[in-house]
Amino acid sequence: MNRLMDHLIYQRMKPVIFGVVSFAVIFGVWETVVATGLMDAFFASKPTAIAVGLAEQAASGELFRNFQVSLMEFAIGFGLAIVSGILLGVLAGWYRTVEYILDPFVWFLYSAPLIAFYPMFVVWVGLGKPTVILITYLLSVTPILVNTLSGIKNVSPDLVRAAVSFGARRSDLFLKIALPASVPMVMAGLKLGVGRALTGVIIAELFGSNAGLGHSIAYYAGILKTNEMMTSLVVVVCIGVVFTQTLVYLESKFDSWRV
Amino acid sequence: MTDTAIPQSRTASGFPFREWLGRRKVVSTISVLVFFVIWEVAPWIGLVDPALTSRPSLVYVAAVDVVANDNLGRHIYVSLLEFSWGFFLAVLTGVPFGFLLGVSRRVRYFIDPPLMALYATPRLTLLPIITLWLGIGMESKVVVVYIGTFIPVVINSVAGIRGVDKSLTRLAHSFCATRNDIFFKILLPGSLPAVMLGLRLGLGRGLLGVIVAEMFVAQEGIGYQIVAYGSSFRVDYLLVYTLLVSFFGYACTILIRRIEERLDSWRTSSQWTGGV
Repeated sequence: MNRLMDHLIYQRMKPVIFGVVSFAVIFGVWETVVATGLMDAFFASKPTAIAVGLAEQAASGELFRNFQVSLMEFAIGFGLAIVSGILLGVLAGWYRTVEYILDPFVWFLYSAPLIAFYPMFVVWVGLGKPTVILITYLLSVTPILVNTLSGIKNVSPDLVRAAVSFGARRSDLFLKIALPASVPMVMAGLKLGVGRALTGVIIAELFGSNAGLGHSIAYYAGILKTNEMMTSLVVVVCIGVVFTQTLVYLESKFDSWRV
Repeated sequence: MTDTAIPQSRTASGFPFREWLGRRKVVSTISVLVFFVIWEVAPWIGLVDPALTSRPSLVYVAAVDVVANDNLGRHIYVSLLEFSWGFFLAVLTGVPFGFLLGVSRRVRYFIDPPLMALYATPRLTLLPIITLWLGIGMESKVVVVYIGTFIPVVINSVAGIRGVDKSLTRLAHSFCATRNDIFFKILLPGSLPAVMLGLRLGLGRGLLGVIVAEMFVAQEGIGYQIVAYGSSFRVDYLLVYTLLVSFFGYACTILIRRIEERLDSWRTSSQWTGGV
């Protein structure tokens, strides 16, 4: 019995174990290659040095400051994108004319390299946070809008027919069928949006900002301090993983709503 | 893997391409025209500063000038070359790598965590370090495009292989198909739609990659021109180049979509239909 439990636990933990081993191997090889002089630490830094840099930046408060700025920009930009994306998506999904009106602009936002507009945005709204928030917003609003729209539009016709034959009104159809049925698609849109919003924050900071994690990456790269740059890079990677995993978790919770 | 959203967005992002007739055409055209009129008139009547927003007519004049005497061909050539190399190499290595991950569970367990980390990270964050390693020439742009394209291609290839109906492989197995048969006759064709989706997503990332990388630091190319005009504040010229990139991306997406549709019609209905 006990061995069976052990086996079951092993089976469940297997991906985690392999994951830890995988990262351990990567860090190990990286450390050895640099330590033995095969690769110059100037170009790649090394895991132990990055850990030390992380501790230093954390102690001096620099890490927290940058993190705070980036997180705030992310929260405002992505928050606005969620609100307006879902709102416009629902409108466009329900009223076809709204969809047709928005269509060309959504297409343009989707396919244009929005970062290219940062010099204009800087003049329009100001250097730093406003520009970063605007780019974050514009990048992340499209997937949310488009997914909400198709979630509302592609509600199963069977459900609608059934509801109508039981005397549902248009407002019932909207509130009781279209909205709940579109939740999984909205979640999928949010997940795509998170990635784009994060990209937006970091890239916009890389180009037109004076604070934040992206700015610190560009700054340290500019003065060739690889180690400090890698430290910020590691933080960005961690944030990305945490955000994506959170959304995966949320999505799996909402998936039971799928009809 | 967190790619479940991608197959779903397939129908989602498809809306500009379907039903492109009738009322849609009329309403969309009017909407764009209204936007252009407002854009043209607003600076005229002094609502906004024309230096900040430019005007459609000025953009048109700028477009003519760019085509005539801005060395446009050279910049397109450079950007296209960087993009093509990166995209080509990413597809060449990404698809087999994805298939390997899809077929072997052990390899997947090992590679999945770092791949996930790379997937969750904005890949363009690596721009400064890639520049540091490879310099400001073409190589760094090729690598940026490569990384941008590689991830979606791999992830969708894995999803494609794993999404193939298990009963098909079992069936083939019980009819004594060899491993080769199963791979070439079932897994490969079955995963093609997902692979194509990966190519389409990768195309967008790659295109953004080459432009942003050139914007970051370069000596020529479309992205370089964008930054040059952006920082000297020629909004009209800036818009010409951004529109150029948008249309190119749009055209390529439509091209891949056509190929996808062709593959779709050729696929039997019992196979993978979108969900992972």
